Parts: sequence; C-alpha cells; structure tokens
Amino acid sequence: MDAHDLTAAYALDALDPDEAEAYERHLSQCEECREQLAELNETAAALAFGAVAPAPPVRLRESILEAAAAERTNVVPLLRRRWVSRGLAVAAAAAACIAVGLAVSLSQSSQTRTFSLMINPDRTAELHVSGLSTAPGGKTYEAWVIPAHRLPRPAGLFSGGTDTSLRLRGTVPKHAVVAVTVEPTGGSKQPTSKPIFASPPA
Amino acid sequence: MRSALIRPSPPIGSIALEPPGLGGRISDAVNRQLAHLSDEALVALAARSEQSALAELYDRYGRTAYGLALRVLRDQALAEDAVQEAFLTVWRTASRFMPERGKASTWILTLVHRRAVDAVRREQRRRADSLDLAAEPAVEGAEEDAFLHLQRERVQAALRHLPDAQREALELAYYGGFSQSELAERLGQPLGTIKSRMFGGLSRMRELLGEPGTETSWTPTT
Repeated sequence: MDAHDLTAAYALDALDPDEAEAYERHLSQCEECREQLAELNETAAALAFGAVAPAPPVRLRESILEAAAAERTNVVPLLRRRWVSRGLAVAAAAAACIAVGLAVSLSQSSQTRTFSLMINPDRTAELHVSGLSTAPGGKTYEAWVIPAHRLPRPAGLFSGGTDTSLRLRGTVPKHAVVAVTVEPTGGSKQPTSKPIFASPPA
Repeated sequence: MRSALIRPSPPIGSIALEPPGLGGRISDAVNRQLAHLSDEALVALAARSEQSALAELYDRYGRTAYGLALRVLRDQALAEDAVQEAFLTVWRTASRFMPERGKASTWILTLVHRRAVDAVRREQRRRADSLDLAAEPAVEGAEEDAFLHLQRERVQAALRHLPDAQREALELAYYGGFSQSELAERLGQPLGTIKSRMFGGLSRMRELLGEPGTETSWTPTT
C-alpha cells in the first residue's frame, strides 16, 4: 500500500481503522503528506458547511457546558471514571499511570483502594482516599504535589485506616502530578520511597 | 419558542461579523467581549478552563456541527451525542491544539465528523440501506441562519462543479460515512479508482472554495 495515496481518504475519514493507523504512522515520517493533509483537512471540513444545518436543541448547548464544567473540576479531564484499578505492581504502576492516565491502587489486598483527586477552579485540591490500611508503626502517608520539571512539594500527611479527605497544602499547578508515599512519622522533605499512588498530570 | 432560537438575519454587511449564535446562559455582554476573538484565541482560552470560550465556540460552530452529524447519522439523539463528544474533546484537549497546523474551525469540525463516522459505522445503520442515504435530506423549515445559508450555497455550488463520479465519491465518503473499501465494493470500482476520485474531488473542491469570498471560517470583528 502506498500511504501517499491515502491522504484524501484520511481527510474524509474514509479509511478503515487499520488503514488509518498505517497512514498515521506514515504521516509521522512524511512532511509532504502532513502539509497536504493540512490542506485537504481544511477542504473536507468546509464540506461540513454544505449540510443543511437545522438548529440543534437548546439542551445540547446546556448539556455540553454542564459536562464541561463538571469535568474541569477533575484532575483527569481525559477520564471521567474514578481512578480505580487493581493488581498492578505498585512501582511500575505509579510510573505507568503518568504515561497512560490510569489510576493506581495498592496491589496486595483484595480490597479496592481508591484515590481520587478533585481540583477546584482556584487550583486548590482535595485528595480522597478509601480502602487504604493504617500506616505501619512509625510511618505516615504523605501527599506530594510535583509541579512539572520541579521537585516534589510536601502537601500533607494522613494516617489511612479510614476514608480520608485531605485538603492538599498549597495549589496544584497545571500539569503537576499528585503522589502519595509512605514516610517516617512527621513526614519528609522529599519522598524517601516509591509512590503508592501518582495521578496523571493535572 | 422560535424567537429564542432564531436570531434575526443581520444586514448583509455584518454577516461575517457575527457568529451564528443561539443565545443561552452566557450573557450577551460576555458574548460580545468574546466576539472580538478569533477561533484560535477562544481555543487558547478554553485551554485555560474558560467556559465562556467553549460556549462561544459552540455558538459559532455548534449548528454546523449538528447539521453535519445529523447528515451523517440521520438520528437526532446520535447526532447530539456526536456533537457533545466532539465539543468535550475540544474542551479536554484545547491545550494541545496547534494553530500552526490548521484552523480551529477545521479542528472542531474534523472532530465532529470523526465522531459521527465512528458512530455510524458502529451502528451499522446504513449497511442494510442503499447508497442514496448520503443524499441531502429534506430541508426542515427555511429559517436557516443567513451566514450559514450563504456558506452552504457556496459549498453546494462547488460540489455541483465536480464531475459526477468525484462528487459521488466525496458525498458518499463524507456525508455517508462510507469507507473507501466499502465504496469500491458498492460502486463496483477498483479501490485505486475510488482513491483517485476522492483525491481529485477534494483537490478540485479546494480550488473552487479557495476562490475569493469562500472563506468558511468565522471572521472576528476588528
């Protein structure tokens, strides 16, 4: 298959999924196709204006704006579901979740551990934790805000054992990650263990 | 009810100055402030969680988006879903929009089209039906926005200039949601023929629409 030929079909969304995928791979290596696609995309989008456009129901506008407002208070705008997952190796998952936008929970229990992070419009945030056992003696859980390309900043301590709502200290900048580690009682200045939880970038 | 939906047609000279608005919760004052902004500036504001910017983008393109989705899907509820998903994708991924890669209106309508095509293929509604489903449905009511009416006339005039085979390929692919291999099969033509009809048709459309006065995106006030 010559992927060059597929630019128009791709612009018209007329490729089957495997063809589209192959074309996208080609696109990443072909500047000529990228330029041509930009042009043909614009023309294809102009066809949208060729369709008769009855007024959409008023509720559609409201529904979109309400859904948008509801999503933007969540740290994971890409995912609406709560971050629950099980059976992942903790360290690997903590690293991977940043890349794939999935939640992590502790693996060594049948009980579901849930971390959910709510970010307010003023970028203050609350971390809700449930299903997490009490920190071992001499230890505490510590939350961290990790701004992009910066060192982690301590954001609060909690002991686990019960459902916890922790108001994070300071604000959570855009693209920051919120993480939780186990630290010696009293907390640390920098994390001393691998995170048991890390959010996707906020 | 109609008066809440339909904005009186503006004088011709100001057509390009006002987006096709539907009114709504955002106050006129806010809308007027945002009316100065380009689509791309609105996307940048949306990336900063400015909800009124999303509302303004919807007011500019929601109706076209809905018309497109309805044409492809032929089902109001599915069309609403496609439009909603597309605008929420705009909201979620606004920070990744790159204006140097294309216009914001192209991005938005591409998202809508992709959602609609995905949905129509998922539903497989049309597979049992005939190709003429891609034909234009009857116009419901004549109170279309003057700006949109003008744009539609232009696009349809350009389509009429195409050779029949190219127009058919474009309409079935874009409005019908048929893939190139489905088209080859249904039209009994080699895949290569379908590809070149789509490419030829789209390229010719580009020339025709590129002529003066065929700008399809909304122009901000100065």
